[in-house]
Amino acid sequence: MARPLGPVRLKKASPVTLAIGAVFTILVLYFLIGSSAPDFSASRKASAASHPLSPPTSPFRKSTGGGKPKAPPVAHYNLNNVTITSDPLGNRENILLLTPMARFYQQYWDNLLKLSYPHELITLGFILPKTKEGNAATTELQKQIAKTQKSGPEKDRFKSIIILRQDFDPPLQSQDEAERHKIQNQKIRRAAMAKARNSLLFTTLGPATSWVLWLDADVIETPSDLIQDLAAHNKPVIAPNCFQRFYNTEKKAMDERPYDFNNWQDSPTAVELAKKMGPDDILLEGYADMATYRALMAYMHKTDGLRQETVPLDGVGGAALLVKADVHRDGAMFPPFSFYHLIETEGFAKMAKRLGWQPFGLPNYKVFFFFCLFLLGGRMLLLTGR
Amino acid sequence: MLPFTSSGSKVVPRHHVSGYSNGYPRGNTFEISPHRFTPRGTTPISRRRKRLFVRLGIVAAILFLFGLITWNGGSVLSVLSLGLLSSSDDFQLETVRYYDLSNVQGTARGWEREERILLCVPLRDAESHLGMFFSHLRNFTYPHNLIDLAFLVSDSKDRTLEVLTESLEAIQNDVDDNQHFGEISIIEKDFGQIVNQDVESRHGFAAQAPRRKLMARARNWLLSAALRPYHSWVYWRDVDVETAPFTILEDLMRHNKDVIVPNVWRPLPDWLGGEQPYDLNSWQESETALALADTLDEDAVIVEGYAEYATWRPHLAYLRDPYGDPDMEMEIDGVGGVSILAKARVFRYGAHFPAFSFEKHAETEGFGKMAKKMQFSVVGLPHYTIWHLYEPSVDDIKHMEFGDTTGQWEQDKTKLQNIALQDKKEKEAQAEKKAEAQPAAQAPAQGQQKVEGKQEGAKT
Repeated sequence: MARPLGPVRLKKASPVTLAIGAVFTILVLYFLIGSSAPDFSASRKASAASHPLSPPTSPFRKSTGGGKPKAPPVAHYNLNNVTITSDPLGNRENILLLTPMARFYQQYWDNLLKLSYPHELITLGFILPKTKEGNAATTELQKQIAKTQKSGPEKDRFKSIIILRQDFDPPLQSQDEAERHKIQNQKIRRAAMAKARNSLLFTTLGPATSWVLWLDADVIETPSDLIQDLAAHNKPVIAPNCFQRFYNTEKKAMDERPYDFNNWQDSPTAVELAKKMGPDDILLEGYADMATYRALMAYMHKTDGLRQETVPLDGVGGAALLVKADVHRDGAMFPPFSFYHLIETEGFAKMAKRLGWQPFGLPNYKVFFFFCLFLLGGRMLLLTGR
Repeated sequence: MLPFTSSGSKVVPRHHVSGYSNGYPRGNTFEISPHRFTPRGTTPISRRRKRLFVRLGIVAAILFLFGLITWNGGSVLSVLSLGLLSSSDDFQLETVRYYDLSNVQGTARGWEREERILLCVPLRDAESHLGMFFSHLRNFTYPHNLIDLAFLVSDSKDRTLEVLTESLEAIQNDVDDNQHFGEISIIEKDFGQIVNQDVESRHGFAAQAPRRKLMARARNWLLSAALRPYHSWVYWRDVDVETAPFTILEDLMRHNKDVIVPNVWRPLPDWLGGEQPYDLNSWQESETALALADTLDEDAVIVEGYAEYATWRPHLAYLRDPYGDPDMEMEIDGVGGVSILAKARVFRYGAHFPAFSFEKHAETEGFGKMAKKMQFSVVGLPHYTIWHLYEPSVDDIKHMEFGDTTGQWEQDKTKLQNIALQDKKEKEAQAEKKAEAQPAAQAPAQGQQKVEGKQEGAKT
């Protein structure tokens, strides 16, 4: 008896098995084809650099193909065409947002995401110390970055992000408050901070940046139009007033108080004090035995004052600071040494002035600092010291 | 398989082991089919319908997926090739970069540790020197793929930019892979002509400060646009160096100093003395100069080599011994800009070329001062010499008139001062006219002649 040709069906597959198989096939196909997971719009892809050796202020095309890598191209950058105007949005100017970070606060990141300036024009730069705390902050930061850049909506994704790790050890943080606030220790601490800021600035300031926004990692609340608002003044260096929301135990309610005392106008007393100092001594704000009588912007705030009001400044703080990239390109940096008896951000204001750029402040435009009962230590002492 | 072949059976097996029922030889094949086959009946209508639905579902899913990919800008080809063959425009965007700066500290043997160098070259109307410069570039023994090139072309009226681009593209397309350099950036920025280009004002003493400040700005713009987190070293090189060892990068690096410069001389025709110190900006600070600095205005800039400021500083250039140990080091305070090798860390921490009067100095000399202030080591190599191009210029003709080219600094000093005094008298009338237009501190110096050979690292 002849047996018909063809396979013999030993066991019949159920439709359920088939359906599962189909689903798996689709998944496999999806991962094979659609593995270029974060999709970027054509305009973003067009502006990307073609080689990993390129300014980190723009993304680069990661070649998915193998083969021998090609020699990097000859890249032209015409800095005459980089505009810095009061209408950054209209001219599609690139912002470099720089943050030296020791701790990661979720509110900081959430506030960044809320910025209304187009994120495809914002490059973020971070520098973190290589300490236990810094490592933890880096992990947190990278988690949030992956969430935003890989799976977040495209409008939330930033143009590019640079994470740097410091190459020097932060000065020993003594737990003893009095020790920490000795002027000599303050100088060491701020010199380290200045080095971190400079390292971050000069390695990331590419040829396309128009504005540099310095925002401290503990600034957790800003108006969402911060960049547009500050740039609208078209000043070389401009600082909003930094406040802190805190729980007022007397009033039993949330309250606000001035926080950053590095924004000031010079006083004759301070000038006299500086004259008597040794070449490497620095003049610090907020020490009772060194009363400077400088006019602090923190105290110029009026609740009914105009938000647009500007005042010229001689010293600035780094909590929030918008700087024209040209100021930094001319060489204005954060001196890690005594520069006219000033250091770090205050020294930066002086250096900018030496280069012919006048810093300004906005006493009635507020940004807010992180508040935590356990973290009050440091700056509180500055407050009471006066 | 065949249970019937038990030896004890008396029954004749129905199927013989050696053959099929149809009599064909069986051979050694293995057979699993049942001996009798009952064809299946037709599938029930319900099951057929179910199967149809499943098939339709699969087709719909595939179509949907296909449509999704092609609609999002992917090509049909990339779908068909399952993403394994990626076409040239198929790429991923990498938006996040991570760098640990402690990996780029700069060590004495950078070429072994693959340390990247940023080579910075400021250019201005330099077309005629580019050929020579590129021959130096090709000859560098430091691995080319570890050298990133950055050029700043400013206020140029000749074909500097075109020639530069052509030369660089030629190198990157070279058949020899070892010639290819790393990242190459050409940066254009015009600062505008602050100083008149006629010889008198360009080399006059009063013009020096604004000129040096402008040069400093140019250098800072170049550096800030080109320095990356992956650089361990930064090398500044002027385009008009005529002779330098091919191994200069390794030679300077071996000293493992934060900032290091070689001695810079220039050859002269025999009738001018054969050779001459060129770069007088590398010097050690002197008491005289410090005292002088204290008397000057905040914005004044001390420029070496002018009789107005007799600083009596020991110059690297004048300490050269042609037979001396090329590895000998000398601590210096001001540096010249012809050839500076510095650790990138120096610039990362904030040292730059002051475009203002920093402790009465600007540009490269100010950079030396600032690096010192930041406690970096700044050294010069008095007996390791590179040679700057010699171009017979108006300066040299003047220099000839003054005669002395032996390079005896002390002798020069007295002569210079005499000459300067003479000149001053001659040009007094002229000076007074111009004095009103000059800043107070510089006014008395106006009108005097530059009397020493060309001094600056900065050329036009």
